[in-house]
Amino acid sequence: MSRSYFFRSLLLIAVLAIGFISCTPTERDNSEEKGAGVPQQQEYTIEIKQMKFIPAEIIVHKGDKITFVNHDLVTHDITDDPGKTWTSSALPADESWSMTVTQSSNYYCTLHPTMKGKIAVE
Amino acid sequence: MDKILVTFFNNNFSNNKLNKMIMKKMTPAMMRSFAIAFALFTTTGPAMAQSNPSLTDPEVAHVAVVANQIDIGYADIAIKKSKDGEVVKFAETMKRDHTAVIEQAAALAKKLGVTPKDNAVSQKLLADADKTKKSLNGKSGKAFNKAYIDNEVAYHKAVIGAVEGLLIPETDNAELKQLLQNVVPALKAHLGHAEMVQKNYK
Ligand SMILES: [Cu+2]
Repeated sequence: MSRSYFFRSLLLIAVLAIGFISCTPTERDNSEEKGAGVPQQQEYTIEIKQMKFIPAEIIVHKGDKITFVNHDLVTHDITDDPGKTWTSSALPADESWSMTVTQSSNYYCTLHPTMKGKIAVE
Repeated sequence: MDKILVTFFNNNFSNNKLNKMIMKKMTPAMMRSFAIAFALFTTTGPAMAQSNPSLTDPEVAHVAVVANQIDIGYADIAIKKSKDGEVVKFAETMKRDHTAVIEQAAALAKKLGVTPKDNAVSQKLLADADKTKKSLNGKSGKAFNKAYIDNEVAYHKAVIGAVEGLLIPETDNAELKQLLQNVVPALKAHLGHAEMVQKNYK
């Protein structure tokens, strides 16, 4: 078992466990979302297709996970715009890359700067 | 492109002498513009007759590969000569993307058992590219950057026109047609990128 496979499995188990815990009905989960309890991580997928991020704008919560999947035949990247504080680095055709959202960002592809997208944290 | 354009004229206008005169006077730049006009005409004008000059699929594949190779050739010159980071980054994207397209085309040709076949369109493209490369090689500094990026804008416009107006309609095989259709958004993004860089050299 490769190291990355092991960690991915571990992550999957953790995600499932969190899902299970948050599905267990408890009174305090009825309080406002920001309140008590383990926040549930939502997962989103942004497809890169025909030189576009689809959807180009997405509204998420802090801690949610976004996976970018490159369906094009050319390499792209996903990079914070304009600060470049985070980047996927080169994402070749048919590969994917995931990030956990910490803040709202505009992003773009540094290889094709006409490609832009936006992550809004609500 | 000559053969097709000539036949296009012949099919659509009655005065052959006039057509030949027009063709002789066409400069490469005019040929490029005409490729765009051709594309516009075929998509907005009357439907082209089925008797139109045809490129076979092996010829379409050859044109596609040559058109990509030409832009890689321009990119190699820019990577070597330019000291403008934005120009170099653009050129590297051209090299990376057009190489990826060629690889896809080669893989598809292999799968379909098609051997790309040389033809008049490919030869015309290569002859024009040779002149452009000589001209680029003779320039340096800011003049080089401007000439390179201006040519990239013009070349991508011409190629988009030719792919949409000529190659896609000429292609019979569905997978080859699909590949060409998949390449168009990349060409358009390259054009947009080239125009962004071009603004620095106005
Ligand atoms: Cu990109």
